[in-house]
Amino acid sequence: MNKGAQSILALAILGLMTGTASADVIKVGVIGTFSGPYALFGKNFKMGIDAWVAQNGNKVGNHTVEFVYKDEEGPNPAKSKALAQELLVKDKVQYLAGIYFTPNALAVAPLLEESKTPLIVMNAATSAIVEKSPYIVRTSFTMWQNTVPAAKVAFKNGAKKVAIAVSDYGPGIDAEAAFKKTFEGEGGAVVEAVRIPLATTDFSPIMQRIKDSGADTIFTFLPSGPPTLGFVKAYLDNGLKAGGVKLMSTGDVVTEPDLPNIGDPGIGILSTYHYSVSHDSKENAAFLAELKKGGASLDEVTMTSVAAYDGARLIYKMIEATDGKRDPAKAVDAVKDMKWISPRGPVSIDPATRHIRQNVYVRSVAKVDGKLINKEEQTFADQPDWALSTK
Amino acid sequence: MSEIVVTHVPHKRSIPFGQEAVGALSIIALGAIGYFLYPDDLAFLTRLIGIAFLVLSLDLVTGYCGVATLGHAAQFGVGAYAAGIACVRGITDPVALLAVGVFAGTIMGLISGALITRFRGLPQLVLSIAVGQLVAALANKLSWLTGGSDGLSGITPGKVFGIFNFDMYSRTAFLFSLGVLVIVFVLLQRFVRSPFGLMCRGIKDDDLRARMIGVSIYPRLVVMYGVAGAVAGIGGALTAISTGVVGLDSVSFERSAEVLVMLVLGGAGHLWGALAGTVIFMIFEHIVAAANPFHWMTLVGLLLILIVVFAPRGLIEPVLSLASRFKRKGEAA
Repeated sequence: MNKGAQSILALAILGLMTGTASADVIKVGVIGTFSGPYALFGKNFKMGIDAWVAQNGNKVGNHTVEFVYKDEEGPNPAKSKALAQELLVKDKVQYLAGIYFTPNALAVAPLLEESKTPLIVMNAATSAIVEKSPYIVRTSFTMWQNTVPAAKVAFKNGAKKVAIAVSDYGPGIDAEAAFKKTFEGEGGAVVEAVRIPLATTDFSPIMQRIKDSGADTIFTFLPSGPPTLGFVKAYLDNGLKAGGVKLMSTGDVVTEPDLPNIGDPGIGILSTYHYSVSHDSKENAAFLAELKKGGASLDEVTMTSVAAYDGARLIYKMIEATDGKRDPAKAVDAVKDMKWISPRGPVSIDPATRHIRQNVYVRSVAKVDGKLINKEEQTFADQPDWALSTK
Repeated sequence: MSEIVVTHVPHKRSIPFGQEAVGALSIIALGAIGYFLYPDDLAFLTRLIGIAFLVLSLDLVTGYCGVATLGHAAQFGVGAYAAGIACVRGITDPVALLAVGVFAGTIMGLISGALITRFRGLPQLVLSIAVGQLVAALANKLSWLTGGSDGLSGITPGKVFGIFNFDMYSRTAFLFSLGVLVIVFVLLQRFVRSPFGLMCRGIKDDDLRARMIGVSIYPRLVVMYGVAGAVAGIGGALTAISTGVVGLDSVSFERSAEVLVMLVLGGAGHLWGALAGTVIFMIFEHIVAAANPFHWMTLVGLLLILIVVFAPRGLIEPVLSLASRFKRKGEAA
């Protein structure tokens, strides 16, 4: 034991002593899910940032930019806050970025003003996050942003009675509220609203309930992963599709890595989302080519890689505007109202909310060249976060 | 096991409060090392102390009473949520928040103790998981109160004793937590050697025999659970105060399982074992996660396997047997 303790202590000392900053290196701390069930999305953070660095080099002016990665693991706010503190105090990072889960972002927010550090949120999608500090900018999406167009399309497609089925947690409840408000505002009726516990894998009883409610369309949101696949399978197997009940969802339910598992019966499922891997533009083609060059498999690409890629763009712009000095107000001002063409389409940062404005696409699952993709059919241009701004 | 019980009976010639003084001074010394050598890691060390309370609490019911539980985070989480909610609703004095956490933890401990200790073996384990899951589900459902899956944020405690502000470097939070740990640890050292604590050990070693000498087991275990709840509640409240957020992770199954691993690692049935397990597990995890944020879990798994193979009764056991051998040698000479 004594030897063991010694070596562990030695390891500890070694580990804690590394990591001092030199003068002209600007460090960016990236907190993401790099292990556990959500590891794919953390990996996409890194893929996106690596792609940006590969295209633009690791220097802004004469400042070298260095990214430091920390594993947030899961929704664990206490850990995320400690990680952010460690990045700020020990690694002396000038920018924070990443963050997959909302509670983790909320935990980090109070540190920003005291430490004068901007935070680029690359996923966490609850609307209120950007209101927690003036130094937060978000490059991902919110539930409201993606759901409002879904409700409009459903109504336009002739839906009269909708059943809503969402996961029983923050974003799910956001999605339910957004859909209900918009759809009823248009003149439709919500006949059933089911909140499904996160760990559910058998959706047959829920399908039965939806069938009984007499709904002609289902709207659903579940976080991407095993449950989404189960939900779509249950929808197909229980004869709802055959019975003419339509399925409308946010893109989380039909992510590209899941499509091969859903298979041909899924063709025609509608969803609204801000990014499809198959988005047809030269920016997206270049982005995907860069990811591939970096060793990534295109079957793994998710929305977090684009959010990270655009986030890295903002960080470079901030470093350029402040010339490497710690000036969060100036840095955030420099990216407010910034406009550019992202791999997902034209985007801009809303100066009022510091949240990204972007196109939301209506897509349907289609088979192109033997491969299932989300084919973009209609575009809702320049969508804000509907919960924060009314414009 | 019986040998250990004997070593815990105070010697006649021993200095009064000697063990307690040693305990307090050792923790203070360790804390000072942390404070002065690693001033940049105080946020992590504060989190470590918060978890240490939960491991100590688990030690009281699992190590000292033999109650198998995989739902112990419930007490911790209830303490954290109670302190957090109280703070959001206007009680900002850290000491008062601590009291809120202790109170809530105790109540939760008594309730779960009353349920869980009625049974033994597998039903007990299942029931402990059920209680833990129930609390987790409630924390998620009552989102108007707990913030649900978004977590309870906006906890901004006032100054400690009206003087020391909670800062970004976690200096105040660390010293405050360390101070509370010293006090609680000393009290627990006394508590586990009290007739009550020794009787709990007796129940763990042979409950039939305990019953034969006229001990009623159930109320004792419930009271022990209450005490454990108080200790876990302190940990929860401290974590809420120092991080400013409480999330569903604080009542999660993973948290319960993780602290059980730490306890087994250090050695159940010893307060020092609980502390050692927490410190070693968390520091190891911290270092490998920093060195390789992508594959660190594999290394943690490897460490656990190694320790279970080479020191199945926890890391503290070989140290204790070494110490007692020295003692015997000294007495023989």
